[in-house]
Amino acid sequence: MSERRLTGLAARVDALVPSPDDFRSDLRGPRTAARVGAWLGVAFGVCFLTGLYSHFLQHPVAGLPLPTGPSRLYQVTQGLHVASGTAAVPLILVKLWSVFPRLVERPPLDPRRLALHLLERGSVLLLVGAGVFQLVTGLANSAQWYPWSFGFISAHYAMAWVAIGSVVVHVAVKLPVVREAFGAPLETRPATPGAPSRRTLLRTTWLSAAVAVVATTSVGVPGLRRVAVLAVRSGEGPQGVPVNRSAVGAQVVDVIDDPGWRLRVTGPDGMVELSLEDLRAMPQREAVLPIACVEGWSADGTWGGVSVLDVVARVGGTAQDDVVVRSLQARGGYRESTLPAAWVGEPDSLLALTLGGEPLHPDHGYPCRLIAPARPGVLQTKWLGEVEVVRA
Amino acid sequence: MRAARAALGAVGLGLLAYGLVLAVGLGPQLVNVLVWFVGGVVAHDGVLAPVVIVLGVLAATRAPAWLRPALVGLLVVLGPLTLVAVPVLGRFGARPDNPTLLDRPYWAGYLAVAALAVLAAGALAVRRRRAGV
Repeated sequence: MSERRLTGLAARVDALVPSPDDFRSDLRGPRTAARVGAWLGVAFGVCFLTGLYSHFLQHPVAGLPLPTGPSRLYQVTQGLHVASGTAAVPLILVKLWSVFPRLVERPPLDPRRLALHLLERGSVLLLVGAGVFQLVTGLANSAQWYPWSFGFISAHYAMAWVAIGSVVVHVAVKLPVVREAFGAPLETRPATPGAPSRRTLLRTTWLSAAVAVVATTSVGVPGLRRVAVLAVRSGEGPQGVPVNRSAVGAQVVDVIDDPGWRLRVTGPDGMVELSLEDLRAMPQREAVLPIACVEGWSADGTWGGVSVLDVVARVGGTAQDDVVVRSLQARGGYRESTLPAAWVGEPDSLLALTLGGEPLHPDHGYPCRLIAPARPGVLQTKWLGEVEVVRA
Repeated sequence: MRAARAALGAVGLGLLAYGLVLAVGLGPQLVNVLVWFVGGVVAHDGVLAPVVIVLGVLAATRAPAWLRPALVGLLVVLGPLTLVAVPVLGRFGARPDNPTLLDRPYWAGYLAVAALAVLAAGALAVRRRRAGV
């Protein structure tokens, strides 16, 4: 291709692609972007920290102590995780709208400035890509929809670091622009007749975030349950508690009905097998504990059963030992979980036999399940077959 | 300010680099992750944003001034809410063995919220029209 033809082609592309000046709305620009961006940054920050806390609960790191109470702690942090992610959807959309003309900005020709320009655009690409990825995968996961082939947890975790890292880089790059934008007063009157003012646009954006949060995640807030019309759960279920994995889904329907069921407890002093009658003959304890799911919903239950510590003490276990519980499920990622020593010492960490005073419903883990305060629901293993004391 | 920005940038790059290391550690799954990563950017920049821009141009050129703020409000509130509602409206994750999951009448709830938004936007438009905007 000759140089003239190349120049001609470039000119034609240039004419086809709109330039930043073609975007007429004066509601765009730094004064909108900085204000929406600040709240978007807060939402991403809360989402990241609460997500990290959830990750550490599920993948404990030696030497990092985590609080075992109050019992509602995880319910609150995970509720915040889903709520801040949901609020981020309108915020990121308005934010991207406010800076969209920059997408079609013509790159500078000077090599040094071009390199800087490309670096900055690259960091924004990572930010938008990772941000949208986190919101899309998180929202789909909360409705248990997995239209992809990667593993959700590891991908969502890796992209969380990419997203928060590029947010921090972006703030560092834009700090002077942000300071200047916040210094300028917010227009309360529209610059273009008939258009909304910038203040109206911002208020509408906050309203949009609030509507999205209330409609999806307020199901756990007393009094708001009915307006959470888009919540993934109504909060109803057998014995008043929703179910994440049913007995049918876990393929345990036959094994849990076996009258010969025994809980096999092993520890430093050997092994005992406890029948349901043996467990019922031990000192019983009742605790009101939420099932708080990673998907953001939660439901309270009054659980009855035996303290984990009382059971493991039969085989020499103490509050200094971790306890591994195993389900009767043949497979599944959550058929086993570790109750760290800090929780073993909590009297409200129960091997539960009843819910609301009745034997556990099959979907809630009959004959026996683990329930402990301030932990994700997926770790509250159901249909227990084995309890093992692990001495560090 | 310069030092603070440099420190912030360095922290951000560190977090970002750790994320990229984790991403590479995903192994063969990374391909599908990248498809969704790029897909998200393309869906926004290539589809959603141009549609919103066309709607904006239409509103600015065709809609009377008293109606425009109401239309903007409707778009800003109902647009994101509709995207957020997709997983539950489609009930893609529903399973026959678990009736406690996705157990609300989502279309009815969504349409009720949409109707409320239209009513509020309508009231705003009528008020502006009476005020002679």
